[in-house]
Amino acid sequence: MEENMICIDHVSKIYRLGQLNSTTLRAQLQRNRAKRRGEEDPTRRIGAKTYQSGETFTALENVTLAIKKGERVGIIGQNGAGKSTLLKLISRITAPSSGTIGLNGRVTSMLEVGTGFHGELTGRENIYMNGAILGMTKKEIDSKLERIIDFSEVRQFIDTPVKRYSSGMYVRLAFSIAAHLDSEIMIMDEVLAVGDLAFQKKCLDKMSDVSRTEGRTVLYVSHNMDTIRRLCDRVIVLDCGRVVFDGGVDEGIAWYEKISK
Amino acid sequence: MNEKQHYKTIITSEHRLLDLKIKETVRYRDLIGLFVKRDFTAQYKQTILGPLWAIIQPLLTTIVFTVVFGSLAGLTTADVSGDFAMPAFLFYMSGNICWNYFASTMQTTSNTFLNNRHIMGKVYFPRLVSPIATALSKLIYFGIQFGLFLLLWAFFLIRGDTSIRITPAMLLVPLTVLQMMLLSVGCGIIISSVTTKYRDLAMLVGFGLQLWQYASPIAYGLELVSGRIPDLLWLYMLNPVTPIVTTFRYAMFGFGYFNLGYYAISWAITLLLFFAGLVLFSRIERTFMDTI
Repeated sequence: MEENMICIDHVSKIYRLGQLNSTTLRAQLQRNRAKRRGEEDPTRRIGAKTYQSGETFTALENVTLAIKKGERVGIIGQNGAGKSTLLKLISRITAPSSGTIGLNGRVTSMLEVGTGFHGELTGRENIYMNGAILGMTKKEIDSKLERIIDFSEVRQFIDTPVKRYSSGMYVRLAFSIAAHLDSEIMIMDEVLAVGDLAFQKKCLDKMSDVSRTEGRTVLYVSHNMDTIRRLCDRVIVLDCGRVVFDGGVDEGIAWYEKISK
Repeated sequence: MNEKQHYKTIITSEHRLLDLKIKETVRYRDLIGLFVKRDFTAQYKQTILGPLWAIIQPLLTTIVFTVVFGSLAGLTTADVSGDFAMPAFLFYMSGNICWNYFASTMQTTSNTFLNNRHIMGKVYFPRLVSPIATALSKLIYFGIQFGLFLLLWAFFLIRGDTSIRITPAMLLVPLTVLQMMLLSVGCGIIISSVTTKYRDLAMLVGFGLQLWQYASPIAYGLELVSGRIPDLLWLYMLNPVTPIVTTFRYAMFGFGYFNLGYYAISWAITLLLFFAGLVLFSRIERTFMDTI
């Protein structure tokens, strides 16, 4: 089991600050003209904080990590430490500003439960929809449909449009789909914080089960240290975009509690 | 770091000029199918008439066109001058179903990133899946409308008091449909890529399409232009939609306007826009979540 599943090599992600990217062409032209003449920016809101055009925010700075097959890695850190950015880069939602990420297998990212659920479609139709968005083929879903429905405990409502589901039913169905994916790498951003306690426990058990028996790699971001302890066998602590700790679960949590003070 | 290990997927900050990810997009073909199905079924949930709306809409538009532009304004329905008998209703309908497909596909694909940012911000799949699915689901509507058009066309053909006849040119019909698809998707993904940063273009699309329709021979025959301003016909023909529509009518009716030169130019513009769109799209899709 020495094979690297994820290899993050000197990865940085830099965002530009201010509103530079989200304005209209007209405002951009006005700004350029004012700048040439040395006038004040005419599109600036009164009292708004101004940013220099070069001013940036580094969400991740030179992160280097290697994650092996079958590892269950918990990523913890304060708000704004770069946890979600890291997950976004690995799940290919946005590209890094520098560095490379190597992935050795399919990635399923659950940054949100029920992505692509359409209220008008039934639970069954949404299993296909959501499964396909997460990268499954129709055949794969066909073979797992029964297990997904059983796990979700919503069999009675499976042919009802999901807009009539309670939020708990919605989440259970969504999680069951993701839990039955065949991908080698699973990424979860605090999704287990939903559903009742019994279902949360069921999900955690399912996750550690697939990881142990099928050698899947799990990346899990949470602020809930109990679930981290239960699921993970390695912890990475991020602080201000840098990896400040990488190692055992209990030491990692202790480290995190220390920097939180 | 383990330098020797080979990774199946490599994510870097650089991008190639044209990275189409065709293999990956093919792997997601089931998702394309499901998007098409979702667009189609979700549209008609809780309607009584259901997909009949796909027929009612062009029928009513064609009736209005026939009355307003044909009977009241008296605009010509001929693409070339000559002694041809053309049923006005069929003329307007042919233009309408073509324009409908073109405009609706372009309108929807031009919002690809904006409309799907909730999904695309959470999950990765080849972004091109979305415009492809749009073009295909609109093609279903076009198919339904074309079926209705064929019924009326056959009625006039059998009645035999018009100039409509079947010629080998009919083989051009699938080619014009393909061209409409490429052109509308090309324009759409260019606009969707630019609107991730500047929303202005999204404002333009709605009424821009309306203006574009007036610049295309939908509500009138080409003869109106070639008769009144023959010197500027070349400029008019540079609108890639014009040769598509006139060629479509020429192919269906067996008479009308067909100029191989203009048709080839229109194809060249179509392919140019389509590939420019692909290049831009593949460049923007990597980081559009940061700017949208």
